[in-house]
Amino acid sequence: MNDPRAWPGSVRVFADYDRDFRLDADVVVVGSGPCGAVAAYELAAAGKSVVLCEEGPPFTPADYEIDGALSMSRTMREGGLRFTSGTVLPTMQAIALGGGSLVNSAMCNRTPDFRFQEWAEEAELSRTSRAELEPHYDAIAEFLGIAATPDEVQGRRNLLFRDGCKALGYSAESCPRNVVGCRGSGECFTGCRPRAKQSMDISYVPAAIRLGAQVLTSVRVERILASGRRATGVEGRVAAPFTGAPGPSFRVDAKAVVLAAGVVATPLLLQRSGDLANASGQVGEHLQFHPGTSVLGVFPDPVEPVFGATQGYQSLHFLREGFKLETLWAPPGVLAVRMPGLGHPLKQALLDMRFASVFDGIVSCRRSEGRVRERGRSLHPAMRWTFHPDDAAVLGRAIWHMAEIFFAAGARKILPGVAGVPDELHSLAEAEVLRTRRLRPSDIVVASTHVFGTTRMHGDARRGVVDEDLKAHDMDNLYVVDTGVFPRSPAVNPMFTGMALARRSALALAGRV
Amino acid sequence: MLVGIALAVWALVRLALGYPRRDPALRQLSARDQAFVRAAADAVFPPGGALAISGAEAGTLAHVDRYVASLSPRSRVLIRLLFFLLEHATLFFPAPGWDGFRRFTSLTPAQRAAVLEGWGRSPLAVRRTVFQSLRAVLTMAYFANPTVLRAMGLAPLAIESPVVDADLLYPPIGQPRSAVRATPADRERCVPRTPLDPHGPLDPAYREPA
Repeated sequence: MNDPRAWPGSVRVFADYDRDFRLDADVVVVGSGPCGAVAAYELAAAGKSVVLCEEGPPFTPADYEIDGALSMSRTMREGGLRFTSGTVLPTMQAIALGGGSLVNSAMCNRTPDFRFQEWAEEAELSRTSRAELEPHYDAIAEFLGIAATPDEVQGRRNLLFRDGCKALGYSAESCPRNVVGCRGSGECFTGCRPRAKQSMDISYVPAAIRLGAQVLTSVRVERILASGRRATGVEGRVAAPFTGAPGPSFRVDAKAVVLAAGVVATPLLLQRSGDLANASGQVGEHLQFHPGTSVLGVFPDPVEPVFGATQGYQSLHFLREGFKLETLWAPPGVLAVRMPGLGHPLKQALLDMRFASVFDGIVSCRRSEGRVRERGRSLHPAMRWTFHPDDAAVLGRAIWHMAEIFFAAGARKILPGVAGVPDELHSLAEAEVLRTRRLRPSDIVVASTHVFGTTRMHGDARRGVVDEDLKAHDMDNLYVVDTGVFPRSPAVNPMFTGMALARRSALALAGRV
Repeated sequence: MLVGIALAVWALVRLALGYPRRDPALRQLSARDQAFVRAAADAVFPPGGALAISGAEAGTLAHVDRYVASLSPRSRVLIRLLFFLLEHATLFFPAPGWDGFRRFTSLTPAQRAAVLEGWGRSPLAVRRTVFQSLRAVLTMAYFANPTVLRAMGLAPLAIESPVVDADLLYPPIGQPRSAVRATPADRERCVPRTPLDPHGPLDPAYREPA
């Protein structure tokens, strides 16, 4: 068992498909992101035959692009150019074995208890609390080696955030991450070259293969097969890496179907499968994000931001006020997009980046919602989402607190990136404008990769798509286990809670198949 | 009739004529796109100054072409529409001067900068979004140049990737599984796992040419 090539399971890649094929399994899982990978592993561990379908290819270090633009064009759907209408919100969904875990910053936060209580009240849930999910969080944390980011790989740009928070009496927590042996490369978003991040492609997916799972990469599931209240399998086509050009067709017949295609793709798949599991009319509704924005601060001495964990520190101090603050690093070309102006002043400002740290704030929206629908007959989404002024005002407060933290940490200036506010603010007194002015949605450039709500969990079958085991209310054996089941924002980064819910669901399903 | 013909001729001249010959090495961008990207890149990143290398000198055009080639057909259309819009939006948002209605690539460098500044500082959010989109494409391309990143002290460091179980399962993208070269013994190969030195050697692709 020491040689993965001798494991009972298997992985197929694009070059393996030369003809149509058909497979049987106890369970077919669609999507190999954090939630799908956990579900596939737990089902395989329970002795079930599992087929895991993933539209993207597996990436090896040889396939990573350090360059930000090219990396996004290879690892993200629509080349990283996906955005909502209504309020223009760039949003990225990965297309790769391991899904978003390949290109996220590995933050593993447990949803706070107060938010679970709100979920329970609003969505009539009785078994979804922090205490109920704690054993699942713990099991995943142990499997992935989730731990606080050690100081020796924080780098100065993360420690400045900690220092600023401490000076102001705000909490600052070293980010818990699914990373083992971090070297502080700051390259989480383009693929971890040191192989320290335990993304699903190198953790749960190989573990599932070791237990016998069959993994099909570069296959696009286009339809869920169903008869009455029972899902009978899935079918689709091979999809060439990067171009998506269709190849041979395939079909997997299964006793149960688990959807983990993501908050955007899962509802599309249900819609194009005869509007499956949608008696409630909720599929594709309640599209929610954590819209976020960043502030750049420039310090008197070099920060050398090229070294340090991508997101090493966070503050959970303001969760009840509706926002979370954290540090951020990304490929420099991506971060520089938010620098103001052009010409020689811009070039001068770019030289400041060596002296810079970047913080970002994300908002748990209460009133900003949208929907996702098929764009024509394609598998691409048409997403509409509106950033409500009340939520924008919360983000405005987050920007003010980031300014406070920067100046408390000794920044000589900040670049808030807010329309109508000076490009550079040189003191807390100058930054006061950020506190006193109520920002409008159009004043702030926002983006988000945290998505939820489009297949929401609800105790009332008329108001939600899945129950607390994440089984579709309308179906006997169809499960949705991605973060689309969240009734509302989890207040923190969603990956870990999605995985915990997926694990609970998989264990329940294992007992039924 | 004459007015119609005159308008058609004017539209033809404005939209299609007078662009430098297309660089055939670039697969995606038309002659107009290439002229626009070159002009816009030098408006955003002009020659000289703190970072001596200009947008055009940094190879922005080739990078944008490569980036566009990597996108889906729909995204390619959107990007090229963005270039088209800004090339001709001077009809509605002219540059300073009596000749400010000319297409973007026909303006002087100072006029081009003023046009883009106008989009970036506009009270209309949609205009700012258009500017930010263009800036994003050009900035990411500018930063792909190793000289730029080295000058800023932000070039990526050299990192050796250890071999893990997954490397014995997956071949590089597009290749058959027989292309997997790693063996179980490679997992034991000693690779540094200590924190990186921010002043350590750069990734080979970003090192100063010998």
